[in-house]
Amino acid sequence: MECREVREVVFLYTDNEMEDDLLVVFRSHVAGCPRCADRILRAQMFLRVVRQRSPRLPAPERLRSRILTSLPKRR
Amino acid sequence: MTQAIRKRQDDDEFEAVAMPFVDSLYNTALRMARNAEDAEDLVQEAYLKAYKYYDKFEPGTNFKAWLFKILKNTFINSYRKKQRTPPQSDFAEIEDAFENQVHDAAQTVKGPEQELLEGVLDEDVQRAIDELPDDYRMAIVLADLEGFSYKEIAQILEVPLGTVMSRLYRGRKLLEAAMLGYAREHGYLRSGQPARMRSRRSADQTVGSDSEKAGS
Repeated sequence: MECREVREVVFLYTDNEMEDDLLVVFRSHVAGCPRCADRILRAQMFLRVVRQRSPRLPAPERLRSRILTSLPKRR
Repeated sequence: MTQAIRKRQDDDEFEAVAMPFVDSLYNTALRMARNAEDAEDLVQEAYLKAYKYYDKFEPGTNFKAWLFKILKNTFINSYRKKQRTPPQSDFAEIEDAFENQVHDAAQTVKGPEQELLEGVLDEDVQRAIDELPDDYRMAIVLADLEGFSYKEIAQILEVPLGTVMSRLYRGRKLLEAAMLGYAREHGYLRSGQPARMRSRRSADQTVGSDSEKAGS
């Protein structure tokens, strides 16, 4: 595996979506390539920042009641 | 058992299984519609549709993904047509602009890139996500904010797995470039980094605010 290929599949690795056979060659390349190891760390950090800086909001209470009252009534 | 009783059981069941996802659906709808009012309408409409087609849901399959697919279709069919902020028609132009930023980022920010990203504010991340083209934005929201697997995203977006992968790859590259762009714009460099070195190359794009801040 070459550095260019690592770049293309790095997110498969960080997302835990890499298939086993690819994982083997990926890991063996990264073990001997500090640049690609660094690439992985950067990708992980980027994804962490995106998640951490995206606060989740609770659905407004009025939305819940709007949904429940809009469903055809049966009781 | 009469039809009426079965119907009532189905209704109760729908409420019990569907309502726990209202927060997730709302957060995703906010990212799709990019404003709270439309997001609420979108979620309500999705729930109505899900209720209406609940008998089409195959038990044992992924209910959350099914709900999100309905949300996505609702967005594409009604909201995307209505609202155009920013205009999605000029997809190529948006991409070009982002690609240039990627290029700039690679050229001008080498070492401090990680520090820059760490300093990005919530609102900048939201802005950067909001400005992504719809297809990339949806893939990223589902993967990175909702934690869906590639397979689930493929189901929700109704595209092949390979398309999910490429949208995530390209979308994240664009997102990273945009985030770095905002970080540099606001000058979130740690002390010790001379501000004037920040972006000589991108001077044409962001001059005004940059050069003013550099002097202060």
